[in-house]
Amino acid sequence: MLSKLRTLCLKGIDGREVNAEVYIASGLPAYTVVGLPDAAVKEAKDRVVAAVRNSGFDFPSKRITVNLAPAEIKKAGTHFDLPIALGVLAAAGRLGKKPPAALEDTFFIGELALDGSVRPVAGVLPMLLALKGRGKTAVVPAGNAAEAAVSGIKCFSASNLKEVAAWLNGGAELPPCAAPAGRVASAAPGTDFSEVKGQAFAKRAMEIAAAGFHNIILVGPPGAGKSMLARRFGALLPPMSPDESLETTKLYSVSGLVQAGRLISERPFREPHHTISDAALIGGGSSPRPGEVSLAHNGVLFLDEFPEFSRPAIEALREPLEACRVTVARVKESVAYPARFLLVAAMNPCPCGYLGHPVRDCACTPVQVAKYRSKVSGPILDRIDLQVQLSPVRYQDWEAAPRGEPSVLIAARVAAALEIQRARFAGSRAKANAFMSGAELRRHCALPEGASSVLETAMNKLGFSARSLDKILRISRTIADLDRCAAIKREHVIEAVQYRMLDKAAVPAGVA
Amino acid sequence: MGGCAGEERLARVRLNFFACHKSDWLLRLMELYGGAAELLKRPAAEIAAEGGVMPETAERLAAQTAAADPEKELRAAERCGVLVLTALDEGYPELLKEIYDPPLVLYLRGDFKPLPAAAIVGTRRATPYGLRTAARLAGELAGAGVAVVSGLARGVDTAAHLAAVEAGGVTWAALGTGLNRIYPEENRRLAAKIAEAGGALVSEFPLDKGPLQANFPRRNRVISGLSLATVVVEGGFESGALITARFALEQGREVLAVPGPVDSPVSRGPNYFIKNGAYPAETGEDVIACFPPERLFGLRLRPAPGGPSEAALRALSPDGLEAYGAIAAAEEGLSADEVTCRLGWPVQRAAAALFELETSPLLVSRNGRYCRAL
Repeated sequence: MLSKLRTLCLKGIDGREVNAEVYIASGLPAYTVVGLPDAAVKEAKDRVVAAVRNSGFDFPSKRITVNLAPAEIKKAGTHFDLPIALGVLAAAGRLGKKPPAALEDTFFIGELALDGSVRPVAGVLPMLLALKGRGKTAVVPAGNAAEAAVSGIKCFSASNLKEVAAWLNGGAELPPCAAPAGRVASAAPGTDFSEVKGQAFAKRAMEIAAAGFHNIILVGPPGAGKSMLARRFGALLPPMSPDESLETTKLYSVSGLVQAGRLISERPFREPHHTISDAALIGGGSSPRPGEVSLAHNGVLFLDEFPEFSRPAIEALREPLEACRVTVARVKESVAYPARFLLVAAMNPCPCGYLGHPVRDCACTPVQVAKYRSKVSGPILDRIDLQVQLSPVRYQDWEAAPRGEPSVLIAARVAAALEIQRARFAGSRAKANAFMSGAELRRHCALPEGASSVLETAMNKLGFSARSLDKILRISRTIADLDRCAAIKREHVIEAVQYRMLDKAAVPAGVA
Repeated sequence: MGGCAGEERLARVRLNFFACHKSDWLLRLMELYGGAAELLKRPAAEIAAEGGVMPETAERLAAQTAAADPEKELRAAERCGVLVLTALDEGYPELLKEIYDPPLVLYLRGDFKPLPAAAIVGTRRATPYGLRTAARLAGELAGAGVAVVSGLARGVDTAAHLAAVEAGGVTWAALGTGLNRIYPEENRRLAAKIAEAGGALVSEFPLDKGPLQANFPRRNRVISGLSLATVVVEGGFESGALITARFALEQGREVLAVPGPVDSPVSRGPNYFIKNGAYPAETGEDVIACFPPERLFGLRLRPAPGGPSEAALRALSPDGLEAYGAIAAAEEGLSADEVTCRLGWPVQRAAAALFELETSPLLVSRNGRYCRAL
């Protein structure tokens, strides 16, 4: 009258083993689930009852207790349906023939439909990865078969409860999960840098951003091409390593966003709207889920109209930008999601958007401009190394501009620069120039003769602060890497000065 | 007599609290009754009957002046270092007394030196040409020892004040608000700079009077009234700068105008004045030439040439010179991208040239656009 099945649950993006124990006692018919279940797990009862009956079994009219152990982990999700239903059948003595050793080594995951069929669930990949290298097997919904195959665990796919019960009774083998054939076509057409005409400085800044993993903010009037550039940015980054790909796919799996069970092999590009809540941006909810910053893990997070994001949302970016992960703390648990993304922010130069426009008049007062810009100042701006001004392209320049360099050429330079950095930061916490610590900055960014005068001039004549000088050094290092120079040269520093436009004071229209 | 004069002075400060568009009829009433103190003693009905004032207006005058607290105002002024002058006081500008309706009371912060003065006025939405010309004229005049008068507004006013301060000269700002309520707000620092640099901020409005649209044209008569000559730099037909110029003509002062491109909307005002006989102003010397001869003593005219100096251009690298040429040729200046496009340079080459120019006095960068500075 007692049975024990193995299943898995998620804590953050890591799987944990869970035992589903079912005890059937005589007494008034009742059904209790214990072991910190959330609402979806409690609801499993009604699905399990219907699925069991519709698969041709009796549901015992007795006192049934389901325990999900260990009891201190919060259980969320619908994938406990299958193990609970099997546990009930086992406890009722309907699965007698399979030796208990097989049940001991097999993990069950799946949501049940009322007719007994097994539905796909979120988070299969990270749950299965907890079994890696331990010789265990698992039964997963047929809809998750491709995703499960990616994990490298020996898996069987289940399409309905009856089939699984029959298998446990010594019947037909369940079909094993196989990896999907073929790769997703890469790089959607129409997203190459060569399509961007003009904007030489912005394109160059994006190259530098990719080459040193620097966050970047694009400042320009509507229509200058900020979004166009940002959407093409991913093509400059090197392809994902298998580890990166797996890590990102885990996050997508937890969110139920894995499509056709494929590994995410393209760097993600996330573009949340500016009305997004802080919880949706960084992750949260009463049972925590990854936010946009985590879905952009190992890829690009593009925040258009950056100052229009709510202040809590902007402030919430501090943690992921500094620690490359997000910790979501709740009363019952606290989980961490990785969130190492490259931030591409875009904003107008002023609320109306036309400050500094060659033709249109800006209607903003200087106080409005200062207020608008102050929304992105402070600690967040401090994490954004590159600040680039875009101006609208005039027709004559647009027509005359040659086609830009294709993305692959730029990506090759970026890859070479990142290779230099890999050697430089071997054994260090920093993986790219953007993450250099103060000591590393001093070690790797020694200035040549004549370059310190550039910084002095920038401070005295252009009003740069001491803090922005640090940024200029970092950017200079990346420019030198792109040039394959071991030492930073004066021209690198001069170019870097161009990418700190917000450090220069905003001058309202009509003021000398 | 001292007590009597003190009473009259207080009465004028009180009368000045009355808010009206024109103050000439107040002066007329003061003349009729022999002073502000006497005027304020009369009942409203009598003023309406004898002074030719509408009864409601007389009622309002009585109510508003009764509610005012001039002693408190004077104490507040003393506390924040503001001098309160009436036409009875020594130090009230002589030139201002000559105009048709001089301010009853003049609040003054800073140092008011008896210098010959010239007003430089223009639109808030000036072009780079207007800003640069206003700055050059103001610099030359201030360097010559002429006080540069303007209204602390955005655009041409700000450029003129700034250039005068930077030239180490004296500049006066006539405000359309009380001295405690600097408007526009972003010019608060400029206002402080003007006072620090030996200039002055003047206003006829009570200390805490906020910005009211109607008060700005009224203050323009003070700008022209303090000045021997008024220079219109840029402005459309509806611009406040043209109001100032008309006040100057009414007051019998000289009006000059900076000729502008004929197809620019903000050139219409100054070009209209030139057509109608105003002197074209190209340099500070043109302005000073309009002063009455007795006010020329002590002026040290050092004409600054228009355009960049030969030496500054010679100091440029060949790339810098070429980039400067492209930028100077563009009316509205160029953005960094436009420089690379026009010259067909790679980014690094353009960045180096722009850095060189930006840190030289030849170029200013304004919100991502580079314009010639001189």
